[in-house]
Amino acid sequence: MTLTVERATNVGPPAADVLLDVRDLRTYFHVMDGLVKAVDGVSFTIKRGETLGIVGESGCGKSVTSLSIMRLLDIPPGEIASGEIWLDGQDLLTLSPEEMREVRGNDVAMIFQEPMTSLNPVFTVGDQITEAVVQHTRMSKKEAWNKAIESLRLVGISNPERRVKQYPHELSGGMRQRVMIAMALSCDPKLLIADEPTTALDVTIQAQILELIRKIQDETDSALMLITHDLGVVAEMVEDVAVMYAGRIVERGTVEDVLVRPKHPYTEGLLTSIPSKGMRGSRLNVIKGTVPNPFNMPKGCNFAPRCPYRFEPCGAYDPRIEDAHPPDVACWLYTPAPGQTSAPRQSGPERQAGPMTTGAPT
Amino acid sequence: MSKFIIRRALGLIPLLFGIVIISFVLMKAAPGGPAQQFQRNPRVTQTQIDEWLKRWCLSADASPAAAVKEFAGWFGIYNCNTESIFSEKGGLNFLPSSLGGGGNGIIHGDFGYSIDAGRPVLEMITERMPATLMLTSIALILWVSIAILLGVVAAIKRYSFFDQAVTFFSYVFYSLPIFWLGLMMIFLFAVTLRILPPQGIVTPRAWPPFNTDVYWAAFGRNPIGAIIDIGRHLILPVTVLVLANVAGDSRFVRASMLDALNQDFVRTARAKGLPNRTVVMKHAFRNAMLPVVTNVALEIPFLFSGAIVTETIFSWTGMGLLFIDGVGARDYFLLMGILLITSAIIVIFNLVADVVYAVVDPRIRYD
Ligand SMILES: Nc1ncnc2c1ncn2[C@@H]1O[C@H](COP(=O)(O)OP(=O)(O)OP(=O)(O)O)[C@@H](O)[C@H]1O
Ligand code: SF4
Ligand SMILES: [Mg+2]
Repeated sequence: MTLTVERATNVGPPAADVLLDVRDLRTYFHVMDGLVKAVDGVSFTIKRGETLGIVGESGCGKSVTSLSIMRLLDIPPGEIASGEIWLDGQDLLTLSPEEMREVRGNDVAMIFQEPMTSLNPVFTVGDQITEAVVQHTRMSKKEAWNKAIESLRLVGISNPERRVKQYPHELSGGMRQRVMIAMALSCDPKLLIADEPTTALDVTIQAQILELIRKIQDETDSALMLITHDLGVVAEMVEDVAVMYAGRIVERGTVEDVLVRPKHPYTEGLLTSIPSKGMRGSRLNVIKGTVPNPFNMPKGCNFAPRCPYRFEPCGAYDPRIEDAHPPDVACWLYTPAPGQTSAPRQSGPERQAGPMTTGAPT
Repeated sequence: MSKFIIRRALGLIPLLFGIVIISFVLMKAAPGGPAQQFQRNPRVTQTQIDEWLKRWCLSADASPAAAVKEFAGWFGIYNCNTESIFSEKGGLNFLPSSLGGGGNGIIHGDFGYSIDAGRPVLEMITERMPATLMLTSIALILWVSIAILLGVVAAIKRYSFFDQAVTFFSYVFYSLPIFWLGLMMIFLFAVTLRILPPQGIVTPRAWPPFNTDVYWAAFGRNPIGAIIDIGRHLILPVTVLVLANVAGDSRFVRASMLDALNQDFVRTARAKGLPNRTVVMKHAFRNAMLPVVTNVALEIPFLFSGAIVTETIFSWTGMGLLFIDGVGARDYFLLMGILLITSAIIVIFNLVADVVYAVVDPRIRYD
């Protein structure tokens, strides 16, 4: 086999049942020290009404991926160097700023990590929800206000008639995140992007908010892209998962496949670093080493410096997920490296009843 | 809220008291005194000087005890006619006159007389105030609006040519000494081009002195001519004040606006699909204005205290010039009157700034 592996050459819009099709997205930042390839060739799809989790360590490019979809990055220093982002039959990267504004908040809505700072302190909760509704529908201010009360009720806020007139500082963190969710849902988006929606919240509140997101996703039939670094959350919340490392997707598949038979050594590392109930108090098995320096990426496989299974081709050739058959992992353990006739492994090592079965999120 | 205002207002009284004591001590610590003017006059004898000082309730020696007496006399606790803390009527001097107290001192509403001019201090201040208010309020309104406009646009178009130009000129005007700027403007527009008057509030030969009864009579006969005349005199000093103050304030607005634009809630607003104008002018601007409001409220006392350097350069007979003249003559009672009134205005506007802040920022509650 030679190095030339045919890539999936997608041309034109994706099939009708595909809601979001991200193709070879590359988002770079031009900073003082040089070029940061925050997202470096990411492709994935989400079908209508389906759910995808994106996991990875801090700094691997999860937020930049979602902000690229929303086209909310500051350009410069950011730059979407290449790629296509098909949403509901149109490539968002070809839209004019005005057309993109119509998509934001209407077709795609986003929930951010920081509920404490994501709401404007000087406007009431009602004002901020109403604003989005008025922008995207033909509703009058009055109707939109009632819609705001309705959405607050939907996200489980008691006494919404009173809450709607309050300012963000009068609400707790969990309550504010509910408001963010209400705001995101107020225009019935086709895709909901939740970027670590519970990281900033108390553990008890986290479970409630996740429960709410899942319930709402079920009821409204919108698709969900859930960003997290918590594999427990992934196990509970989504059907498909993509694992990101240093700006790329290194493994993807259904939650069952990826969490039970992880292929990529990085995924395996992530899984063993989760504390299980029985292990509480003992040392965590964290992945050794650190995320590579963006200005000095290792030659060959990005994960090589931290990988326990590293072997000859790893330092020389860069594994790409597109080169795998099927394209579900970027690792020379599963794809024959250039000059090799076969790969060492066919499937991932089966994990024993692991922490995933202990009822995460813990 | 009203509780907060009352509590703070009561707190202002000891604060003001502290300010006037410190001002008085500093003033007395400066060398010289009102009697200095007689020093080189051989026809005035020491006895005459002592007599003169006593008439003004001032003492010739510079001992702390004498200074305390002078301050107590200005304040109204001490009565220098009876040379005690009792009034002529025999009651404690600080009590109201109707209860047997004296009539001197500011606690009886008496600001005293100017040592130099021999006129009531309050009368001199009210006479000068309109000229200063006119100059400073026009300048303040202009520079605050210009600063907000420049600062906001510079922040939105960060690092653009416009932003760099605003930054450059801000630093230039911020570092230029105001007196030099004023003199250059006079040199250019009044002396060389001869299109604007070099100094004063009104044209001396055409109009009586500003804010006198004859002036207002003349104003009534030809209001348009009067306004045009004052307007021409206002241009240079207002320009100097605006240039000097826009520099710092536009930087302040720019920084505040940049800070607001970087907040998470601005990203949320964009994520909702709001037009850029709404995001910037509603969400970012409203938050950026919070610190600016406080800053402007703290600049308001300047309206009353006057611009000392600018008024001096342009011979603008307002509060600033009155103060400088008072310092030159060691006119203690005039200076104390001006200091008391301006510091009262400063502390009151500090309170106003707090209240305004609470009104515009729902997060702040005073109770
Ligand atoms: N505005 C920016 N300018 C320069 N570099 C940026 C910018 N935004 C993100 N990056 C870089 O892009 C990379 C990916 O960042 P991103 O925020 O997507 O990480 P993340 O996976 O969301 O991490 P976290 O879990 O901490 O949220 C980081 O290395 C970061 O330094
Ligand atoms: S390619 Fe090599 S170094 Fe990279 S993850 Fe696979 S085994 Fe490890
Ligand atoms: Mg992130």
